[in-house]
Amino acid sequence: MEHVDPALIKGLTIGLGAIGPAIGMGLIGASVVGAVGRNPEIQGKILSTAFIMIGLVDAVLAFVLLILFTTK
Amino acid sequence: MILPSFAFEVEPLGASPLFNVGPLTITNTMLTGVLVAIVLISILVRAARKSQLNPKAKLSFYVESVVELVLGLIVELFGDREKAMRYFPLLLSLFLFILACNLTGILPGIESITYFHNGTHTSLLRAWTTDLNATAALAVLTMAVVEVHAIREIGFKGYFQHYFTHQPWKPMNLFVGLLDVFGEFMRLVTLALRLFGVIYGGEALLFAIAAVTGNFGWAGMLPIFFLEIFFCFVQAYLFMMLSASYLVMSTSMHEQEAEHSGAVAQLSKASS
Repeated sequence: MEHVDPALIKGLTIGLGAIGPAIGMGLIGASVVGAVGRNPEIQGKILSTAFIMIGLVDAVLAFVLLILFTTK
Repeated sequence: MILPSFAFEVEPLGASPLFNVGPLTITNTMLTGVLVAIVLISILVRAARKSQLNPKAKLSFYVESVVELVLGLIVELFGDREKAMRYFPLLLSLFLFILACNLTGILPGIESITYFHNGTHTSLLRAWTTDLNATAALAVLTMAVVEVHAIREIGFKGYFQHYFTHQPWKPMNLFVGLLDVFGEFMRLVTLALRLFGVIYGGEALLFAIAAVTGNFGWAGMLPIFFLEIFFCFVQAYLFMMLSASYLVMSTSMHEQEAEHSGAVAQLSKASS
């Protein structure tokens, strides 16, 4: 295989790796807005669950960043 | 044309050794972890000494508010105050220690003060959670507590039956049981890697933004700092809540089965 510029690979890593977490965060946000709209009285509970889910999803993005910044 | 890959200084993936105490090598993350622990313990002990029914000291008031907040979350998750109080000390110390260690990563001077030794500069202090050894130790501790308490609550037989049911010789039960055991190890790995990845990735992101923005680093890094603070809180909260939910799941298997068998007995009674 020909020599590939590492900058291209890095760009592809962050570009492709951000797709999944972005979709996941969008789904979480949509569900949270829908759930709060239906039951505004338990907004606190819904938001705390949502933060847990956001934490789980952005760990995937963190792995992408980890690979991106630690490879030369 | 693609720019040549922009070179910037990123802290090394592993912790750098500072000095040896006998056979034990002290790394910079260990040093920071011990310092954070000392500071945290002294603050908490001070607050606990001044704690009273109507706190007059500001410090103990704030610490008690944080403890109250975490206690509310844990009791809500366990659904039983007495059971929650049994695990509360571990979970609270996990939360406070991880939060403090995460936040030390963005203090000034933590990465920049270096230690000159054998002709190389190594940073003297580095946030404790940016070391995979540290987060793996936390995850091993947490999962060991979960397993030990599961065995203590439901007995060794019940613990075995939770994975392999009461007919382990059937191939399907054996396969599902092995998958569950593998899942326990995956919990350990994900607990360790999630905390490490987010905190280390965040710090590397700060380095990268500083390198890209150049002279305007102060403007470029400000939003990333707020993002970092948010992630520090979310990761500490997440580690605590995940450990708590693993504890809930593994220590209440027996009750679920009892309820289930009770429901089955009632159904069979009703049908007969």
